[in-house]
Amino acid sequence: MEDFRDDKELSDLFRQKLGNAEVMPSPSMSSNLMRKVGMREFLRFNPTRFNIWYAGAAVAAAGTTLAVILTLSPDKQIKEIQVNQPVEINQGSVDNDFTKEIPAPSAPSEEKVRLPESVKNIDNPAVPEPSSGQKSAAVSSVSGNNQTAEAQRVNSLPATSVFNEAPDNNKLRNNSISRSLIETSGTEGCPPLKVIFRSLAGAADSCLWHFGDGGYSSLKNPVWIYDDPGEYKVSLQVISSGIKSVYSTVIVVHPKPLAKFEIAPENAVLPRDEISFRNYSEGAVRYRWNFGDDITSELYEPRHSYRKYGNYNVQLVATSEVGCSDSVVIYNAFSSSGNYIEFPNAFIPNPTGPSGGYYSPKSDEASQIFHPVFSGVTEYKLRIFSKRGILIFESNDVNYGWDGYYKGQTCDPGVYVWKVSGKFINNGQFTKVGDVTLLKN
Amino acid sequence: MMSDQQIIEGCAKHQRKAQQLLYDKYSRFLLGVCLRYASDKAEAEDILQDSFLKIFFNIKDYSGTGSFIGWLRKVAVNTAITHYHKNLKFRYHIEIEEFVSVETGISSFEEDFFTSDELFMVLNDLPAGYRLVFNLYAVEGYKHKEIAEMLGIDTNTSKSQYSRAKAVLRGKLEKLRTLKSNYSAGNV
Repeated sequence: MEDFRDDKELSDLFRQKLGNAEVMPSPSMSSNLMRKVGMREFLRFNPTRFNIWYAGAAVAAAGTTLAVILTLSPDKQIKEIQVNQPVEINQGSVDNDFTKEIPAPSAPSEEKVRLPESVKNIDNPAVPEPSSGQKSAAVSSVSGNNQTAEAQRVNSLPATSVFNEAPDNNKLRNNSISRSLIETSGTEGCPPLKVIFRSLAGAADSCLWHFGDGGYSSLKNPVWIYDDPGEYKVSLQVISSGIKSVYSTVIVVHPKPLAKFEIAPENAVLPRDEISFRNYSEGAVRYRWNFGDDITSELYEPRHSYRKYGNYNVQLVATSEVGCSDSVVIYNAFSSSGNYIEFPNAFIPNPTGPSGGYYSPKSDEASQIFHPVFSGVTEYKLRIFSKRGILIFESNDVNYGWDGYYKGQTCDPGVYVWKVSGKFINNGQFTKVGDVTLLKN
Repeated sequence: MMSDQQIIEGCAKHQRKAQQLLYDKYSRFLLGVCLRYASDKAEAEDILQDSFLKIFFNIKDYSGTGSFIGWLRKVAVNTAITHYHKNLKFRYHIEIEEFVSVETGISSFEEDFFTSDELFMVLNDLPAGYRLVFNLYAVEGYKHKEIAEMLGIDTNTSKSQYSRAKAVLRGKLEKLRTLKSNYSAGNV
């Protein structure tokens, strides 16, 4: 009761004094916070209504106008370099680890790429000379097609054919397809999924990646690791000579199965017992067992008999439908089970007289001495009682059994109760109780 | 002076002025909350900053019903919990000496004997896990079951953490009281 009052007072004290206590923050706190807020708001491109966004739009608009003006002056070379660069990166990378390109373009990115499009659309017809105009258009559509071609996994399509097939009619269509600047080393996989992102933007362009799980990077070619399953919408924001465009792709991280199993019986004796493996895996459809003795199984819950006692490491690999797998190993699965002690349930004493009880497996072929079969026993205490509860025999040595005599007299045939306790070599304890029937010839 | 309602609306529109006003109005109160969950003021200010970021960017989640200050407090408490989990691996658990159970000679703790600063100090010295549970239970008034859910621990863990926290706090307050009485007695 008193304790309770104490508790309450202690809690009350803190609640009353500190529950609404005010503490003055450091003076720099406010400005730091506001700077962070500003940064976050800038990084969040949610085109609702904040000033920085308007500013960005204004800059973009200015950039557009500037670009239009610039294209009227002869600077094709710069354009070609800009357009060519991604093509080179493509070719270099297609054969390497970027084999799993999957369509990046999607509706939202199309919407957001409006600005660069408008530049292109204005820019192409505005080119005065047809020959060079076609050239620049062709080059840009090469890179455009290359992207879409890749997206459809038609990587083998030679660039020249695209070049040839790009008549003036297709020019505008190609340009209006948002060509994603995102390349990834893969779009789906198992956690932890490491994705190498590659931006095909020009060297001078600034990139900002959002990985869809809260992470972001301003590297051009970042590497990101997804630990948790889910669908992540990745966006890449490229600011190229003042024009902002956004590309996106989706990374799917599949759920990972869980491999889990138990061994039964718990204290199995090898090689006597057949072992059952109880499967508690989750989210998996395929299983592969390695029992540690070079025998494997693909059953859900296999049973296995070992040929001899030993230290086995049992492994289960559980694989989900999409191919994600998890594995678990139980090391020294039977380390506690090599040790055992078992008693017979009947014996026939030697009628010619007491033997003293010492035995060896060979000397006691006729089962004239009551003794256990055992392995790994270090401590041992056996006691045998008559039906009336009289202690008839006691032994602290596992090699010393009962010969069926009590005080020099052979005991009556019948049931005797025994109790044994002790320790195994691995410090595991055992206690067993049972009965044994004394028979007579 | 803007009302809370106006400030909330302003913040929802990401108005810098409204955010500043919200900060000016509630930062002291929220730092008081954060400081209870931290081991020093710097850590408390970290939590406070994260709390404000959450508040500013999620202010639309505030339903408008219920007390605004209660919502703010909740955000801060949740941030503190996140912070605790994030830093869990860097923390040591309790020193052995803390386990020495305290025979309570104290019958009561007079409210005015200790200053808020002293109480904060005692709380800041507590191991992080104890502090978290103690705050949630004793000050915030959550039930052990709720705390267990929030922290992803067992209800009994919450209970035992709480009672150990109390034991440690009681010991520290006792020590502080002796110190203080000696000091004032010596001075008079």
